[in-house]
Amino acid sequence: MTAMEFAQFPILSAILFSTLLALLVILFIPDDRPKLVKQVSLGFAAVGLALSLYVYFAYDPHKGGLQFVERVLWVKSLGIYYFLAADGINVPMILLTAVVLFTGVLTMWELDKRVKEYFALTYLLVAGVYGVFMSMDLFFIFVWYDVSLFPMYPLIAIWGSTRKEYGAMKLTLYLLAGSALILPGILYLWAVAGGTTFDLFELQRLGFDVQVQRIAFVMLYLGFGILAGVWPFHTWSPVGHVAAPTAVSMIHAGVLMKLGAYGILRVGMTLCPEGLVYWADLMALLATIGIVYGAFVGLAQTDLKYVIGYSSVSHMGIVGLGLSTLTVDGINGAVFQMFSHGIMTALFFSAVGYIYDKTHTKMIPELGGLSKTMPKASAFFILAAFCGIGVPCMSSFWAELLVFISAVKTYPLRGILAVSGLVVSALFMLRVVQKTFYGEKNPKWEHIPDVPLFLASPRIILVGILIFYGLFPRLILDIIQSAVVPFVNSL
Amino acid sequence: MMWLPHDPVLSAALACATLPFLSMAVILIFTRPYQRLSCAISVGAITVCLGCALYLLITLRHAPAPVEYQWAWIVSSDMVIPFGFLLDRLSLLMLTIVAVISFLVQVYSIGYMHGDPGFSRYYAFQSLFAWAMMTMVIAPGMLQLYIFWELVGLASYLLIGYYYEKWSASQAGKKAFVMTRLGDIGFFLGIITVLLGFGDLGILHMNHAAQAGDIHPAVVTLGAILIFCGVVGKSAQFPLLTWLPDAMEGPTPVSALLHSATMVAAGVYLMSRIFPFFAASPDAMAVALIIGTITMLLASTMAFVTYDIKQVWAYSTVSQLGFMVMSLAAGGYFAGVFHLTTHAGFKALLFLCSGIFIHEYHTNDMREIGRGGGRKLTIPMICMTVGALALAGIFPFSGFFSKEAILGVLAEHPNKLFLGAGLLGAAMTAYYSFRLIFFILFPRSTAEEASHHEEAHGHGDDHGGGHHGHVFWAMAWPVMILATVTLVLGFFQNELQSYLLALEPASHGHEAVEHGGHGVGHYLLLVTAVCLAVGGVFFAYLEFGWKKATQEGFLRKFPAVETLFANRWYMDHFYRKALDLLVYCGFTNVFTRNDRRVIDGGIDGICRFTVGGGRAVSFLQSGMLQYNLVLMVAAVGVLVLVFAL
Amino acid sequence: MNSLSVYLTVAAVLFSLGLFGVLMRRNLIGMLISIELMLNGANLNFMAFNRFLAPEPAVGQIMALFIMGIAAAEAAIGLSIILALFRRLRSINVERAQRLRG
Repeated sequence: MTAMEFAQFPILSAILFSTLLALLVILFIPDDRPKLVKQVSLGFAAVGLALSLYVYFAYDPHKGGLQFVERVLWVKSLGIYYFLAADGINVPMILLTAVVLFTGVLTMWELDKRVKEYFALTYLLVAGVYGVFMSMDLFFIFVWYDVSLFPMYPLIAIWGSTRKEYGAMKLTLYLLAGSALILPGILYLWAVAGGTTFDLFELQRLGFDVQVQRIAFVMLYLGFGILAGVWPFHTWSPVGHVAAPTAVSMIHAGVLMKLGAYGILRVGMTLCPEGLVYWADLMALLATIGIVYGAFVGLAQTDLKYVIGYSSVSHMGIVGLGLSTLTVDGINGAVFQMFSHGIMTALFFSAVGYIYDKTHTKMIPELGGLSKTMPKASAFFILAAFCGIGVPCMSSFWAELLVFISAVKTYPLRGILAVSGLVVSALFMLRVVQKTFYGEKNPKWEHIPDVPLFLASPRIILVGILIFYGLFPRLILDIIQSAVVPFVNSL
Repeated sequence: MMWLPHDPVLSAALACATLPFLSMAVILIFTRPYQRLSCAISVGAITVCLGCALYLLITLRHAPAPVEYQWAWIVSSDMVIPFGFLLDRLSLLMLTIVAVISFLVQVYSIGYMHGDPGFSRYYAFQSLFAWAMMTMVIAPGMLQLYIFWELVGLASYLLIGYYYEKWSASQAGKKAFVMTRLGDIGFFLGIITVLLGFGDLGILHMNHAAQAGDIHPAVVTLGAILIFCGVVGKSAQFPLLTWLPDAMEGPTPVSALLHSATMVAAGVYLMSRIFPFFAASPDAMAVALIIGTITMLLASTMAFVTYDIKQVWAYSTVSQLGFMVMSLAAGGYFAGVFHLTTHAGFKALLFLCSGIFIHEYHTNDMREIGRGGGRKLTIPMICMTVGALALAGIFPFSGFFSKEAILGVLAEHPNKLFLGAGLLGAAMTAYYSFRLIFFILFPRSTAEEASHHEEAHGHGDDHGGGHHGHVFWAMAWPVMILATVTLVLGFFQNELQSYLLALEPASHGHEAVEHGGHGVGHYLLLVTAVCLAVGGVFFAYLEFGWKKATQEGFLRKFPAVETLFANRWYMDHFYRKALDLLVYCGFTNVFTRNDRRVIDGGIDGICRFTVGGGRAVSFLQSGMLQYNLVLMVAAVGVLVLVFAL
Repeated sequence: MNSLSVYLTVAAVLFSLGLFGVLMRRNLIGMLISIELMLNGANLNFMAFNRFLAPEPAVGQIMALFIMGIAAAEAAIGLSIILALFRRLRSINVERAQRLRG
């Protein structure tokens, strides 16, 4: 098979529909074969991962632009296209989704409650996520976006813990409020452009009036921003993370929150650059507040998952800050941060998941001295914490570096404030690490075995990715850059 | 990697920058359960690095221009962050120091850490440190330097908190990380300042441009002061000095390697690395000079009152670092680097000797070591005395030469106050280091302890005899090598000077004293300094060594001052209070309340309003099917009437 | 009084009786029977109009057959709902099924 022929193969559709196929296959497996459900899930996740890796390697950053394009007219009268494509911004996101799904399935290997329904819903969720990342058509972006929101409610409310109904309800309401802002925003742009096309790039070519852009951008920004955990619309995220089961937290914090930032970048900033310029100041302010605020509130938390939830708020603030700088460096950093934060939080939740499974608590005061009994499980959390602090040679360091450099350049005062947030985040991460893992051996947990190799494997993969891209950041940054440079130039 | 064999210099540098990392990875991933293997891998890697470093030093010692290799690490728009090596005289000297001390400490640790359950982990962290430090030293650009600077901080955090089950150790690690991070924020902002104001972060370019006046003076001053914040954090200068004494919670070899000889000297190294850049801003130099002086004096006073053997050396490290900063800030490039070199040798020596005592007597208290028969351990006792003599600046030990050089620089400074402070510092150093020596040499025991005393003696002897196996010798050899170095290094002052300065014509002007050699003023200074040092030693003897001495110290007469010193001038109390008030009770509390009450409260309020509103009108729902039907029929009737009529 | 109005009157009476039954009876089976009455009233209307007014005779009959089909389906579903309700509440009194009260 030559390269040309392979290029014809609709690989993005294959990734997208393999998840839906997985959903179907899982539904047809009898209830009493949970092992088979897990194996099938893992198989499909592996297929998705392999295909995403192919996309990642086959994407040519020198050529740039849209690649693997699949474009079919779907509804002529409304101008809806089935339009999938990959560019430098979504290639890392697709890879991230595949990795988090794969490791998430492995992490939930010991699940024994309604296994079939759990994995079916997970695949529905992931199908929505893939759909949003790949679609270049506003209609489909919105549809897939809502597809990805719906399964969160049952996933949290059925398999969750700690105030799960409250968390699930809060999350769902918040996110639906977000999509209630996005839909009118999209329809507004569509109608202003004449109601003939939902194609993102045709709309971009048509262009919009400054006034229209300002109104539409703020709707899109708030709508997607809620999902990205923009301060002050962030409180659903810690509560939701805490309530959700481990792998759902991983997908949720690792991928779903990126959907929001991705939406701002892909829809809001592409279609409304003038609106962005108008609102950038506010964006930067909210992002900076988020960075510092998240770190401070994280200091006061006693629940491990709350701590991670607030660190996510802080780290997503960095993404927002990067986007608001409107510079190549800033947006590069923001996209890179989306990727590495996704991997990092997945690792965090995965590590906490094991601890919670075995000790049945995630309250920091009750834990302590865990390093003695489970050195490997602790090591994963500690490594994630280092990444969260921004230790060099872990991938999020580079992202933060780029964002901070461009932020100090563009908004000196806010940039300096955000950089100072690093001290607080170091303080709060190390405090958690110390209280949970260091100290005398706790006799309560003495009988707990350390992670066996198979269960450790998802965490090993995640750590490996963090360090690999920390040492060789160009392997992903060059791809991101191939899309960001033309994007910024077109502003 | 076809090009590797063609360039031995590059391969040697690459080996230094990769081997320890690989060794760490291999140890952590594969060989954790096999302690001896882990140890062998780590020591093997550092031996190769030492070989490479020496090879580089020898081949490149006459190189006319710095050798530079660079590859793009990341490229973002027009910003390129390179990864590479800058091999010039300064970096090669420092590389060699780091490699030598790391090697000796790792060998020493074979004995010291013998039988520790975390042996493999210890060597992995040691490798991490060696990797980060060596790559930092040969960094060609400020960003690479910053990156590995942070990694060195990480290694320090891990090694301080090595005994993680001890609460105080993990606390000390956290404190060290956060406090140095505080300084590093300044460093980072300084780098950004330079990047924005000048646009190039290559060390040679920066130095060159600053000298030539191509950078705006305001940028230089702001950049230099901000970068100096990083030095303050890493080299434990005032006001961020209190993490270093706490860092002594780590294993003693770690204290020797990181927290005295190499890592904390990184700050001083950074200053000398971009010395021309600093020198271009008199304001920044003045700030550095004042900070260095305060640090030196403050830390010396703290060393007067502690009985913990490692704490004394920790305070003395802080104070000597202050001394180096003073020297650099006063324009004495060579003097600062020279003192850095000699200090690395004799301070590592002092720590490693203390380590032998601590390993033998399982206590850090110098009085108990003395009572336990510390002086019976002849080799470490002699070596420690050699180290102390060097620290005090007594001829002919290495410290004497470097201290004289610094004092010479200070004498050149127009403000004689700094010279006075330097001389006072020298005297204080002599006093507190010999206070420690005399405590161990001339132990005092109270009557009721007499019986214990004998027992302890026997115990100590047993230990001394029994341990002359490989464990003891693994510790003794490095110590003896370092003692020899301390003895001879001073006599190579001229060689070192001509080696280093060949490339630094800029600082020639400042080095007049050292070059011009030995005027009358210089002799006077020399004699004064030696007299003060000997005076300090003698005073210490009067108080602690002499048979009728009370071993209390003159400070006992001023209890208020003694408490002040013992509490580190209440700096820690201040930080604790500030942290509690500002962070925990201040922002955290306010923000958390805001989250719970205002944001969540608002959202929950909206939800409650919706639910309440529904409930308020829900009385309309009787739940009776037929009422609804009646209503429907009635409505249809009304509609019929309305439309029909 | 011509014959069409007789049919229409009978149909109206049937429909009203059915409506009265649906509104007044508390027994679900009774309500279901009453609904059948209403449907039959409508059916009668269709047939009468078809017989006296429509030029094309088939349409009304088709509607009548259609309504009978719907009535059968409705009875089946209604009875099964009633059965389910009875299993749960042990009663087919509609007053007992008041879960939706506000």
